[in-house]
Order: sequence, then C-alpha cells, then structure tokens
Amino acid sequence: MTASQPAANRRPATGASAMLAVDWTRCDGHGLCAALLPGAIQVDEWGYPILDQSELATRPRSELTRAVSACPALALRRA
Amino acid sequence: MTSVLPRTAPITALPVGWIAEPQLLRGIGSADLVDYRAHRAQSVPARRLSQADLLARLDTAGLAGRGGAGFPLATKIRSVLHEGSRLTPFVVVNACEGEPASAKDTALLRFVPHQVLDGAMICADAIGAERILVAITDHEAQLAVSAAVASRPDAARFEVCPIEARFVAGEAGALVAALSVGSDGRRNTAQAVPPGRRVLPSHRGVDGRPNLLSNAETFGQVAVLVGSSPAPAAASQAATRAPSTTSPRTAARTSTGTRLLTVTGAVRSPGVLEVPDGVPLAQVAEAVGARPSQSVVIGGYHGTWLPAAMLSELTLSAAGLAGVGASPGAGAVIFVGTDTCALAELSRVVGWLAAESARQCGPCSFGLPAIAQGVASLLRATPAGPTATGQLVLSRAGTVTGRGACAHPDGAARFVRSGLAVLAEDVGLHAAYGTCRRRDQGHLALSRSAALSRSLALSEAALSEAALSAAALSAAALSRAGGGGMGMGAHR
Repeated sequence: MTASQPAANRRPATGASAMLAVDWTRCDGHGLCAALLPGAIQVDEWGYPILDQSELATRPRSELTRAVSACPALALRRA
Repeated sequence: MTSVLPRTAPITALPVGWIAEPQLLRGIGSADLVDYRAHRAQSVPARRLSQADLLARLDTAGLAGRGGAGFPLATKIRSVLHEGSRLTPFVVVNACEGEPASAKDTALLRFVPHQVLDGAMICADAIGAERILVAITDHEAQLAVSAAVASRPDAARFEVCPIEARFVAGEAGALVAALSVGSDGRRNTAQAVPPGRRVLPSHRGVDGRPNLLSNAETFGQVAVLVGSSPAPAAASQAATRAPSTTSPRTAARTSTGTRLLTVTGAVRSPGVLEVPDGVPLAQVAEAVGARPSQSVVIGGYHGTWLPAAMLSELTLSAAGLAGVGASPGAGAVIFVGTDTCALAELSRVVGWLAAESARQCGPCSFGLPAIAQGVASLLRATPAGPTATGQLVLSRAGTVTGRGACAHPDGAARFVRSGLAVLAEDVGLHAAYGTCRRRDQGHLALSRSAALSRSLALSEAALSEAALSAAALSAAALSRAGGGGMGMGAHR
C-alpha cells in the first residue's frame, strides 16, 4: 500500500517513553490487562485495550510484569 | 525468476505526461525502453558509485522516499550500513501499488523499467548487496520488468517477485513477510499482511537480512540523480560519518528534482504526470483539464481532503503541503468535482477502506466498519442534526489511530477526519434534507481502471446545473440554520 504516512500521526506515548506494547495481531480483547491495571489501561467499545503510557510509568514494575504474564493471548509485552 | 501471477484484471491504458522537462520518463515514446540497449543508447553509461559518493549525492539532493512516508533515503541507507549484521543486505524495490488512485510505480515499471533497475543496482553496489528483489503487483509491469531484466548483463542479480494485489500488501512489514523464504523454500506471496511486531527492514528484513527497502520511484530518482549531477565536492567526508545530524524532516524539505503524480477524479485527462517538485497545484489542474472542483484529495485514500479554495495557493512538495497538514504521500491527487456528492464519495471510500483491513487487529477490524457506518448515516436526514453522529465518528477515528500492526487505521482516520472537516456544509445539507441534490459520480475510484478512465467527462451544461442546484440548496440551509455552523468544521 501507499500507506506509510509520516510517523507524526501515530499515537504519541504522551511524553513518557512506552512502558507496555500490544501486538495487535494477537490481542483478542480478553481484558485482563485492563482489570489488572485499572486507570492505566482502559478498553475501547470493542473491548480492546487503550494504554496510557504516562500513567503506566507511575506503576510498580511488578504490576506491569503481572499484567504481561496474565495475557492469555501473549499479546502484551514490555516495550 | 520470471514467474508471473495470472492476470486478474484487463490491461488498463496508462496515460503518462509531464510538466516541464521529464527526467524519469525521458525518451518515453521514442523507443521501446524495456530493452536494455535502447535504454542505454539514450541514457548515461551505467555507473558504480562508492558508498561515500552516493550518500553525499543523496544528502545534497535531499532525496526522500516516494512511497508515502517521505523518509530520507540517505538515512535509510546509513541505517542498513550501521546494522552490523554478518549477513549481506538485500535491496528490495517496492512496487506493490495497492492504492487504486495511484499508478505511477506501475507506469515506471511498464515504460521505463531500467530507470528503476539502474537505481536499485547503484544502491546495491554501494551498500554491498548482491541480490535485488523487485516486488510487483501489476501483471503488465511484471511482464515488462521480467523482459527488462532478461535483457540486462546483470540479470542474475535481480529477482522479480509477483505479489498479490491488496491495499496493505505494500506496507514494508507485510512485504518482508511475503518475500521471505518460507519452510517450503519458496517466497510466500500469499501472506502479504503486516506482522504484529514492527521491525525495520533495514534492521531485519527479507530472509532475516538487513534490507534497503524503498519505493520503485525512489530508485528511479536515484538513477536520475546519479546520471545528471556531478559528484558534490565534499563527498567523502560527509558520507562516512554516522547518522546524519540533519533531522529527517528538514532533509526531506530540501528535496528537488521531479515527482511523479497520479492525477484522477474530475479531470479530462487522468494519468501519471512527472512534475517539478513543488509545482503549483493550479498548474497540475490546468495540465489535466481539471473540471470545477469543490475539493481535492492529496495523498490518496490515506491522505488529506483540502477545500478547493486552497487550490490556487498550494504547491506540491513536502514543504508546500506541511503548512496545511497534508503531505504528497505517494503522489495521488484526486479532484472532486462540483457535480458530485462528495459526502457519498467519502462514505463509499471509507467503506472500502474498512473492507481492505487485513482483519488482524481488533481496533481496525471493528473500528473501521463502525466509522464507515457512521459516515454512511450522515448521508440520511437527521432531525436532531448531524453533530452527535459526527462526533462519534471523529472520536472513533481518534480511537483507532496508532492501534494496529500497520498504519492502515491511522491513514483511514486521517482521511475521514479531513473529509468531514472539508465537507461540513454537505453534512449539514444531508442532515436537513437527506440529499445535496447531487449523485456520487465516482470521482474517487475504487479500481485503477476506473480511476484512469475518461468516461467521467460530463457535459459542461450538466455540470453547472448540478453545481447550481447544490448552491441553491446550500443557501436555503444556511438561512434555515441561521448562519450554518454544524459544529464539525473545526476538527482536523
């Protein structure tokens, strides 16, 4: 495709560097990450996670690691 | 090496032209330039450049990629060179032109393939790559390139790779996945979908090697650049240092030379046009016989809608378009005539974009259809006004952005946002009356053959009648709403 447009429009990591990343081809919207990290991960209207990277940066590493290992689709990883 | 996919579509006539002096298309029509000897006879001798020499020339010219992202080629080459991989790099020529409104790479490969192949060879020699893969979706272009390669003395270094046509197939990651040799020892052309983890081809591309992967026109521009310019004086010094200190954006702005456009929509002569970089849009409109237009879409269906009022002031270059939030993308320019229902055109294309999703990623496979449905509902009369639906569409466009394996949701969102901003008045008319008294004329085509056909030519009389009727309706709506203001024009 002629798809790759400037990177400027990609969702910025709101100041903070990315803490977690989603492999969107694996994510099935189980929602465990959002349950484990309320306030930092929300789900959209279809159940897929919306990551607030600056909020994630304030959470203990152990909480992030727990969410990563809880993902049933192996879609969540440390960025 | 000469395998070709079965033909799936009839041969489309592909008109080409130029404004000012053609560089890439030089000599076209005077000889069969698919033949290597004919090409050499009217071109400069084939050259080998040192890494330093090539990089210095690219830096001086500021050559940016022509596939859409406009990334400086020199930066890309440096990132391949600094990869430190023990594997020999590949050069990959991307001619998977999945955009229906774009045919410029196809035109290059059909008519002047050696410009592209020469440029790719210059890059391969400079970075020490043995093989060059040429990934092509268009059947005629596959045939032309296979014939062109066979006529070259360096034929053994090229591999022509047919790729199934699909909008997302040309995304770099998808292309790498499609080209990589699978467990059966063959390049798998069926899986041209973006991978879940983004890895830069310059880091790890086809067969796990560092790849210099760029758009076909970019390589063609390399051949033009090397053929036309003397070596810059400060060559060797500048080139050997590590990544350039110039930021990619600044570098892209200094780009000179020519640019290929595919100009379609409400024009008398749609086709591929080679123009000086930074050509005024008005001059392009004149060259193709653009009909009275209400808006223009720049950069194709991942691109940006701009109101016709800007037509007279816009120039087609990265710098010229940056000010209005657009970019040349892959050079697709579509004129949306005053006689068509632009909102219906937008709705139809957004539905198509939703259908082109590879359905790998949730936000894209659910979000784009929801957005398409929202835009479609804006066509109908809504007593309560269009604002709530419009806001929902814009909010969903925000939600899908940045949440996919490739930039398809981002591009679709940009297209919808800019479209609704430009068409705010039409949205108001449709909400009030369920119509703008115009029909969808298909100015935004969903196939290359439709985009390049001249059957759109309406009589001037029919055209002005439709435009007048819409203008009358528009005046009525404004007086009814007490000055208009549908509350959506400000969103970008």
